[in-house]
Amino acid sequence: MRRAALVGSFVLGLLLAVTISGAADVILIQNGTIVTVTGPDIQGGSLLIENGKITKIGKNLSAPAGAKVIDASGKYVYPGMVALMTSVGVTGYPGASSDTDEVGVSTPHMDPYDAINPEDDCIEVTRVGGVTTVQTVSGSRSVLNGKSVVLHLGGDLAEDLVCKRYAAQIINIAAREQGKYPSTIPGVIALLRDKFNQTKEYAEKKSKQKETAENNGQDEKGGKGAVPPFKRNLELEALIPVVTGQIPVIFITYDELTVRKAIEIIKEYKLKGIIQARAGVFKYLGKLAQEKIPVIWAGTTALPQRWEAYDKNYHTAAALAAHGVLFAFDSGGRGPGNRNVRNLPVPATISVAHGLSEEAAIKALTIIPAKILGIDDEVGSLEEGKVANVVIWTGSPIQLRSRIDTVIIKGELVPMTSLQTRLYDKYSQLVKERMTKK
Amino acid sequence: MLKKLLLLLAGVMMLWAGAQSQDLALKGGTILTITNGTIENGTVVIQDGKITAVGKDIRIPAGIKVIDVTGRFVLPGLIDSHSHIALSDVNEATDPVTPQIWMHEALEPDSPQILTTLGGGVTTVKTMHGSANVIGGVNVTIKLKYNRLVEELIIPGVRQQLKMALGENPKRLYGTKGRTPSTRMGTAYVARKAFIEAQEYKAKWDKYEKNKAAGKTDLTPPKKDLKMETLKMTLEKKLSIDCHTYRADEIVWIIGFCKEFDLDLIQLSHCVDGYKVADVMAAAGVFHGGWIDWWGFKEEAYDGSPYGFQIMYDAGVKIVINSDSPDEGRYLFRNAAKVLKYNDIPDNEVLKMITLTAAESLELEDRIGSLEVGKDGDVAVFEKHPLDSTTKCLLTIIEGEIFFDYARDSITSQGGHR
Repeated sequence: MRRAALVGSFVLGLLLAVTISGAADVILIQNGTIVTVTGPDIQGGSLLIENGKITKIGKNLSAPAGAKVIDASGKYVYPGMVALMTSVGVTGYPGASSDTDEVGVSTPHMDPYDAINPEDDCIEVTRVGGVTTVQTVSGSRSVLNGKSVVLHLGGDLAEDLVCKRYAAQIINIAAREQGKYPSTIPGVIALLRDKFNQTKEYAEKKSKQKETAENNGQDEKGGKGAVPPFKRNLELEALIPVVTGQIPVIFITYDELTVRKAIEIIKEYKLKGIIQARAGVFKYLGKLAQEKIPVIWAGTTALPQRWEAYDKNYHTAAALAAHGVLFAFDSGGRGPGNRNVRNLPVPATISVAHGLSEEAAIKALTIIPAKILGIDDEVGSLEEGKVANVVIWTGSPIQLRSRIDTVIIKGELVPMTSLQTRLYDKYSQLVKERMTKK
Repeated sequence: MLKKLLLLLAGVMMLWAGAQSQDLALKGGTILTITNGTIENGTVVIQDGKITAVGKDIRIPAGIKVIDVTGRFVLPGLIDSHSHIALSDVNEATDPVTPQIWMHEALEPDSPQILTTLGGGVTTVKTMHGSANVIGGVNVTIKLKYNRLVEELIIPGVRQQLKMALGENPKRLYGTKGRTPSTRMGTAYVARKAFIEAQEYKAKWDKYEKNKAAGKTDLTPPKKDLKMETLKMTLEKKLSIDCHTYRADEIVWIIGFCKEFDLDLIQLSHCVDGYKVADVMAAAGVFHGGWIDWWGFKEEAYDGSPYGFQIMYDAGVKIVINSDSPDEGRYLFRNAAKVLKYNDIPDNEVLKMITLTAAESLELEDRIGSLEVGKDGDVAVFEKHPLDSTTKCLLTIIEGEIFFDYARDSITSQGGHR
């Protein structure tokens, strides 16, 4: 009987859990300043979310029956921020295990999706910081590092989180090691040319094989016909969509030389190239705009060189904007060290202090990173039909003191808790108890 | 003839004065005094390097340079109580006990890091030895007098602080070399052994000095040992201690250790778990000197929580925000704004974390950290309120001298390069 009751309450709990997550299906946000990003702001606006999507934006929308209504009076409704080049989900517990940077100079087939841990504490810390979508990369220390996956930071299983499986390949054009090939930049360039050329040959061979096999009445897996089974090369296969321009490739660069080499390689192989830069872009502003190469700007807080003005890097975002280069802010360093993707607005803030318009800064945190990842039809702005990744702020994200009241990911309210709020709850209680005892 | 001579003399004196400091008045700004509220449309006068007037209706002495700062915010120069700027070397990572190392020997007054930090409104920093050793070197507290001689940077009369470090850094560094400490137990042993030896060393020298003072002859002085000299100074409280800590257990341990040896523990650096033992820290009167939101970059930093400031503030812990960095000191005011994102603490109390409380942690609260008559003329002028993240520093003044001037130092006035 007791057991039956237990099972009964378990089933009830399950049902309840399902209804709760289902209950959030319709949410109406009212009376807020809606910052749509792609269109004008709407003062005293409403935003309706149904079945995970934004279905209506306007003034004085009435709440459908059963909708959860959120009053955003005096608050600001923004699209969730989109963070590029993170390791959210693969960071691992320090000292235990990190799943970035597989061994080898050419590992383009490494897929961070295979290592995503949906219980990574970074996920909660990041999303309550207003970042709702991240690009998680496999590494940065190799020349050809691997794939990157785009995640919405809501969901229980890795597959629930996925927005886009193979969003971009990551190349580090300065990944060289003394005493090992490639140990020089020209070595890196030669390696890249080799790999791209091999991939083109491989792709051609593969499609010919497929064609012949099809003519012989075989399926893709080969079979008993006149054509020998095709020997697959996973490394080169990962590069096929790169050399055919189907998916973007991000070049990690460090200085003027590596920026230049990246531009050259992008042009030479007609790649859908993106440059992550932390210096050296000033001379290439015109060129980047002309070639329509987007920039992931990671250098705002880099120290200037001895001969440079103290605020050269603070001004770079404004210069990129003035020259019409499509740019987004980097998440501030990759690898197990960076658990502060929530600080994405910091470089934007500094750039606004030094000449960038707030409007351009907000775009560089939302719609432009979405564009760079090819997901701008889904996220990055508040528009009817888009995925409901919505954040309610007490002020502009550009003000570092602004707080976040509400985070909605894929139409569901996210609990505003994380490892860090739980630590606060525990120790504020403990310290209070000890102090009252005294 | 006499007139000519007098004129010449006056000229020489003016030149001398110009090289030292200039009397100036900052007029028309919003003054954030830190200790006496906000003064709208106020004036700050600096003469002979000191603040001589702060207020609303100040008569500016005739003949002194007047800078119109209408619409701007005037505040005390910011203070970074844990910096690593302007050092050619940071870590004498060859031995777990290196108190013979003095960081002023590594100072580089022409380091561009000084200019970038001045560009963040910072005027004073304590630039520190690294955390490789259980007992590291003696840190040096300096004013950011860019491009001047080393001795002009070092603040005269300030009690310098010995760096100690607990936790993973020393145990990793020496443990991987098969040396002690490879554990926190080993770290405790190394620290205790060093200070016991220092007590013995001090006793020998005290005895010798006593006998010498008593007029005894034929005395052989004990052998000088530079490591022991520094630790003896620490026992004599001529030096205080800033200890690198992360975990709560370490924080409690070092407070107990310093009680045991009667050492002046001033600041706990990083102190990531400080909020967990806020009551212990408040009772010990030790300063928390750390970041607002760094966490998880190593195991012992995993429990960093930006909400922890609230627990410490409520418990009465003296909180200082610092950079622990050769380059992050320029963002102290932005990190202060972040405190407000996570905690309900009044704005002025947050500003104290980068001004007055930081000055207290350096035992310099009588000289810097607020805008008050008699204090050093160390002033930062910001475009907007310092807790508005879109602000920037326009002028950084140390003892009446302008060391950073946006109009001169910005790329916007230099056509790209300098």
